[in-house]
Amino acid sequence: MSEAEKLGPDYELDLGWMDQTGPWDTRAEESRNGLTLADIQVGEYGRVPDESDNQTGRPRGAAPRSGSYRIGNYAVRTKSEIWLDNASFLYEEALQRQWSSATDVPWHTIEPLPDDIEQAQCQMATFLTEVEFVAGDVPARWVSQTTPDFFEARQLLTAQVMDESRHMDVFRKRAMANGGGLMAATGATSGFVGSIDLSRDFTEMSARLHISGEGAVLTIFRMGELMAYNDAEKAMYRLCAQDEARHVAYGVMHMRYMAETAPERHEEINCYLDEAEAGILSGSANPAGQAPIVSEPLAILLGGGIAKFDEGFKKLVALRRRQIQEYKKRVVSAGFGARFENGRSRINEILEQAAAA
Amino acid sequence: MAKAVKAAAKAVKSPHADTVRKAVAAPMLEIPEPKLTWMNKSRQWGVRVKPGKKGLTLGSLNVGIYGEIPMDWPDQTRNPRGAIGRKGMPPVGYMLRSKAEVWADSAADLYEEAIQRRWAPATDVPWNTVKPLPDDLERAVCQVSTELSQYANVEIEVISAWQHQMVYGYHEVKQYLATAGFDAARHYEVFRKRALINGGGLGLEGAGQVNRMILESRGGWTEAVVYLVLVRGLFVQTILRYLEQYAYNEAERFIYRNVMQDKARLLTYGLDHLKFAIAHNEDQKQIIATLLAIGDGLFIRDFNDPVLREALAIIFGGSIDGARGAGMDVYHDMMRAYISTHLEYCQWLDVPRRVPEPLEQYAPQD
Ligand SMILES: [Fe+2]
Ligand SMILES: [Fe+2]
Repeated sequence: MSEAEKLGPDYELDLGWMDQTGPWDTRAEESRNGLTLADIQVGEYGRVPDESDNQTGRPRGAAPRSGSYRIGNYAVRTKSEIWLDNASFLYEEALQRQWSSATDVPWHTIEPLPDDIEQAQCQMATFLTEVEFVAGDVPARWVSQTTPDFFEARQLLTAQVMDESRHMDVFRKRAMANGGGLMAATGATSGFVGSIDLSRDFTEMSARLHISGEGAVLTIFRMGELMAYNDAEKAMYRLCAQDEARHVAYGVMHMRYMAETAPERHEEINCYLDEAEAGILSGSANPAGQAPIVSEPLAILLGGGIAKFDEGFKKLVALRRRQIQEYKKRVVSAGFGARFENGRSRINEILEQAAAA
Repeated sequence: MAKAVKAAAKAVKSPHADTVRKAVAAPMLEIPEPKLTWMNKSRQWGVRVKPGKKGLTLGSLNVGIYGEIPMDWPDQTRNPRGAIGRKGMPPVGYMLRSKAEVWADSAADLYEEAIQRRWAPATDVPWNTVKPLPDDLERAVCQVSTELSQYANVEIEVISAWQHQMVYGYHEVKQYLATAGFDAARHYEVFRKRALINGGGLGLEGAGQVNRMILESRGGWTEAVVYLVLVRGLFVQTILRYLEQYAYNEAERFIYRNVMQDKARLLTYGLDHLKFAIAHNEDQKQIIATLLAIGDGLFIRDFNDPVLREALAIIFGGSIDGARGAGMDVYHDMMRAYISTHLEYCQWLDVPRRVPEPLEQYAPQD
């Protein structure tokens, strides 16, 4: 006897749900890069609302249940507050370019280094392991507060949290791989007003984290070969740079979306940029900034030892110039380039002062 | 290793290097005298961790003072464990500051394993093996995919809400949870993709009472883990195990198998953490028992909702007709597997447990 006969009514089916669906007959198709998030933006399923009223956490496009509890409590329900146009593409790229700090870095290429270089490398690694995960903690918090209707942006932030976890980890590994150890923390990302952690608006946070903070770090990672002494370090910087470029792209593309869709917020965003520029060299979150605890090790690495500190410092100043140039390009690309034309931005002045200091 | 990663790992000259070399010829630069106050500041120097069989792993770094993981971590800055902290820094504001609230010995290994076993729904799933299915089956698969996607959504929200509240001293856990959140994002995505690829679409949103209790367990991470892992996590794992056996194509089989593999890590972390929490907090065992007893009421409300049950029975039975007999038999079998494993886990944790009325039919008889 089957259980159907034993249990009787339990086996009767209601089936009312079968006609309660989102748009039917949907047939997403694979593209050259597989079945990507962009490929499933079909019909209604690709429509992202400007304002989301989804407080139950249902997948965008699914049929709602009228009795569902409002368990979402999402703070971010306005598209422009978090959106960027190429989130799907960047997310898929993030998935394709995941790497392992355990096995993709040729650790065996590390050979003992002179003490001053090893100390500088370890101090830099301590600093990086300290600050990398601010870019994990903070996006995670926003992930938890964003409606799933904007899931493409949210997926990308989740990938960033993953990337930063690996960054925190690869620099810790470097500090312990070559006869050194961790050194002194800087306190660079603590809880003070205007810090990445404490921003209460996503765009303010993104301006500070993605555009100025990670932008500055990206320039340094891209120059990694100038401060690397073996293939392991080169690989480490290069792989991190690849990830960092996506994080910076988030900020730029988000700001561009804001520039295009939220003119009422332009002035406010310019204020965030004013603050970000003021801190770009004076704050200790930029390893090429003015704080000796990070700029000195960097100069030693760039120069090739304490004896060549002057040469290293010159390179560091060149690196700062490069950071500022790249920063300006990004802000222009984000649609806020007018500030460099109309005298609002003081970034060049800040740079010259820093060089003379 | 993906091609792009390989290319990046290879040493090539950066296009920016020349710019810097030229700029170094900068005249009139005032160069400060280095103060070097940071030099020779280390709590333990001379560490040389070598890569092992699995490369240079996170867990292998726990040597000497770097492996000392205290039960409390009052420091609320991002001072890396083992580094010399900077005094006078305002706290970032971490809520979870004791080891008992977050720790699992397996976290570091699970982190590395998650990275090694990464997969991409876009390119690793053999999507071309999905062929048109009879309407009732397609509707059932789409309904189950919708609910599994929504479950993953809850996982994303809960993990990301807690992870950033954990202090730096237990970085292994933060790092493992970064992989778990990323896994959940992938699950959210892969089930959506499955629903939209084969002439169907998303179905009806889930019943949502278990979702609610996971999201509303705001008292602590351990309490969230009770619902996220011991109830929902194990339930999903059981569903996936059965779905894999009744999959209609290679793509679905691949999805169920890989999601299961990811979820197994979350189960391992969760059980490991609960065991640790119980061992270090006298009242924890009773708290877990209370949470589970209260949770039963909400689980039963979801259980009484016919949608997921019927959709699964159709998949297991191959059609609506099949669902009325063999399909529902398999469903009940699946519920028995869930309840008995759940009870085994509770027993392993030594948490007292009594299965309530409508679920009693699934509990082992002895
Ligand atoms: Fe990073
Ligand atoms: Fe980053």
